[in-house]
Amino acid sequence: MAEIELKNIAHSYNPQAADMTYALDPFNMTWVDGGRYAILGPSGCGKTTMLNIMSGIVQPSEGKLLFDGVDVTTLSTSERNIAQVFQFPVIYGTMTVEQNLAFPLVCRNYEKSVIDAKVEEVAKALSLQGLLKKSASRLTADQKQLISLGRGLVRDDVAAVLMDEPLTVIDPDLKFRLRRQLKEINQKYRSTLIYVTHDQNEAMTFAENIIVMDAGKIVQVGTPAELFDRPKTTFVGYFIGAPAMNFFECQAAGGYKLSIGSAVIMTGTDLSKVGSAPFKLGIRSEYIRIVEVKGANTFSAYVQRVEDMGNYKLVTAVFEGHVIKVKVERDIAVPADSVELQLPAENCCVYAADVLVS
Amino acid sequence: MGLLYSTLKYLAVTLWSVFVIAPFLWAISTSFKDFQSVTNGATYIPWVDFEPTLEGWRALWKSPAQGGVAIVEPFFNSVFVTAAGSAISIVLGTLAAYALSRFTFKAGPIRNGDITFFFISQRIMPPVVLAIPFFIMLGKFSLLDTLMGLILVYIVLLMPIAVWIMVDFFNKVPREIDETALIDGCNPYQAFYKVVLPNSIPGIVVAGMFCMIFGWTDFFFSFILTFTEVQLLPVAIVALNSSITPWWSLSAAALVSVAPLVFVAFIVERFLSKGNLSGALK
Ligand SMILES: Nc1ncnc2c1ncn2[C@@H]1O[C@H](COP(=O)(O)OP(=O)(O)OP(=O)(O)O)[C@@H](O)[C@H]1O
Ligand SMILES: [Mg+2]
Repeated sequence: MAEIELKNIAHSYNPQAADMTYALDPFNMTWVDGGRYAILGPSGCGKTTMLNIMSGIVQPSEGKLLFDGVDVTTLSTSERNIAQVFQFPVIYGTMTVEQNLAFPLVCRNYEKSVIDAKVEEVAKALSLQGLLKKSASRLTADQKQLISLGRGLVRDDVAAVLMDEPLTVIDPDLKFRLRRQLKEINQKYRSTLIYVTHDQNEAMTFAENIIVMDAGKIVQVGTPAELFDRPKTTFVGYFIGAPAMNFFECQAAGGYKLSIGSAVIMTGTDLSKVGSAPFKLGIRSEYIRIVEVKGANTFSAYVQRVEDMGNYKLVTAVFEGHVIKVKVERDIAVPADSVELQLPAENCCVYAADVLVS
Repeated sequence: MGLLYSTLKYLAVTLWSVFVIAPFLWAISTSFKDFQSVTNGATYIPWVDFEPTLEGWRALWKSPAQGGVAIVEPFFNSVFVTAAGSAISIVLGTLAAYALSRFTFKAGPIRNGDITFFFISQRIMPPVVLAIPFFIMLGKFSLLDTLMGLILVYIVLLMPIAVWIMVDFFNKVPREIDETALIDGCNPYQAFYKVVLPNSIPGIVVAGMFCMIFGWTDFFFSFILTFTEVQLLPVAIVALNSSITPWWSLSAAALVSVAPLVFVAFIVERFLSKGNLSGALK
C-alpha cells in the first residue's frame, strides 16, 4: 500500500518519429493511499496506457513515478508489487482454477497455509469454490474473468489494484454484485483501487474520485458531485450525466450577466475580468425549473416533446433556436405549448473557450 | 441437393482413400512375396494367389554377406539424426520465435518481420544451392560422413520451420498473458517458462511434427554428405534398387521407413482430438 505519485509523466508510442504524438500528454497526478478511483474517458484517450505505466508494463517516455516518495520508474513490474486486471480474461490455461488464483502468491513465495487461506477467501468472495479443481481453460468467459479478478485480489499487500474495464464481459446481474463486492474488499483492505470504465454510472456509484480523461489529457479530477455540478470543461459536461449538460452560446452582458438571445441571465460568476472570449452557459437539466410566472432568470420556451422516462419526465424545449432539455418530476404537469423556464444563478456554469470560469 | 452432395463427397473421399491406400497394400503384399511370386505376373491375395514368406522381412536384419539388406543401422541413424536435429531446432527455434514475437529489433532498416523472413527464406532457396557450401564447410571441419555433420545440417534446414510456426503461434498468444505473469510476480524468464511455454505446447507439437517429417524424409543432403561410414535410411533404401532388385525387402524397408511417420501422425491426431490445441487460451 502506498501513495502513488506521477510526476510530469508523459508517454508516446512513437518517440523517435518525426511526427511524434503523445498518447498521454505530460501531467501530474497523485493517488491517495487507500483511495477508490475511477478513470472515465472515451476510447483511445490513454486510460490503459496510464495503468500500464503505473504497473510497469509500459515505460513512460518522460517523467517519474513515485511510490510513497520512492522513485520506482525503473523498477520492474514484479518489484512494484501491483495487481492489475485486464479488460479481457487472462487465464493460465494449463492450470486449475485454484492454481490460477494461487499463482501470484506462489510466485512471491508465500507460505502454503497463507496461500490456501487466501485462495479460499477470494474464491468465496467470487463464488468460485465449486470450480477450484477444474481446469481454467474449460470455463465460460465470465468465469474466466472472475479468475482474472481473483488473481488481482489475492494479495492484500499490493501498492494498488488496477482494473481496466474488468466487468465488460460480465452480465449485468453479476456485474452489480461484483461491483459491490469490489467496494467491500477495498474498504476491508484499504488498498488503492483504480478502476477504468466507460460506464459513468459505474464510475459514479463506485468511486470516491473520478478522473475524466480526453485525448491524452486529464481534464478533471473530482468527486461525482463536483463532476456533476461544476464540470471543468464542456467536454466533461457532455460526457458526464444523462442527458448531457445543456450549453448555450451567449454574450457577456456586464457584471455577472450573460445574454442568451433576448434573455438576460444572472449567473454566479463575475465575468467582468474575463475578456470577450466566446462564452457558453452550461446548466444541468436537473437544475432547470418550470415556473408559473415570469421573473428573474426566466424565459419562455416552446415545448417540443415530453418523454416519460419512468421515474422522471424529460422535456425538450426550444428557445430562439436553442434546444433545452429539462428533467422534471413525474407528477409535475408540463404545459403543452409554452413554458416558463428558470435557470437558478447558482447552478449556471460559465465557460470561456470551453473552460469553466471560476 | 443434400443427397447428391453427400454422395459426391463420399465418392471423392473413397477415390482419394483408394489412391492413398493402394500403394501401401501393394507394398505390404509384395513384402511377403518371394522371387517366384514377384516375377510370375501380378498376384494379389496371399495363400490364394501366392504363398507368403517372411524372407523379405528377415533380410532387413541380415548383413549383405548373409544375403540381407542391413537396414537396422541406417534406421537408427535416421532416428538419431532426425530426433536430435528436430529437438535442437525446436528449442532454439522456440526461443528465437518468442524473442521475435515479443521484442522489437532494429538494425538499420531491418525489423522483426525481416528477420523472420530471413529464416523462412532459407527454405525458399532450392536445396541444391546449399549442397556445395555444406560440402565444403563440413569438409573443413572433418564432419563429412558423420552423424554430427548431418545433425548440424538438419538444424539449418529445420530451424526455419520451427521459427516460422512458433512466431505465428506466439503472435496469437495474447501479450496480456506475459504481462499478467509479470504482474503476478514472475521475472521475464519465469513468465516465459512458467506461463507462456506450457500454453505453447500445441504449437511446439505441430512444429516438432513438421521438423520430424522434413528431417525424416530428407534424401538429398544425407545422400551428398555421407559416403561409407554413415548411412541414413532413405539412402539405404534407394541403394537397394540395384540390377537385381530384391522387391520384397525393398517393400519391407519402405514400410519400415514410413512407420515412424504414421506413428507420429497418430499421436498428434490423438493430441488434437483431445482438444489440446483449441481453447488453450482465451
Ligand atoms: N502498443 C501501442 N502502440 C502504438 N500505439 C498505441 C499502443 N497502445 C495504444 N496506442 C495508442 O495510444 C492511444 C491511447 O491508447 P490506450 O489503449 O491507452 O487507450 P484507452 O483509453 O485504454 O482506450 P480503450 O477505451 O479503447 O481501451 C490510442 O490512440 C492508441 O491507438
Ligand atoms: Mg483500454
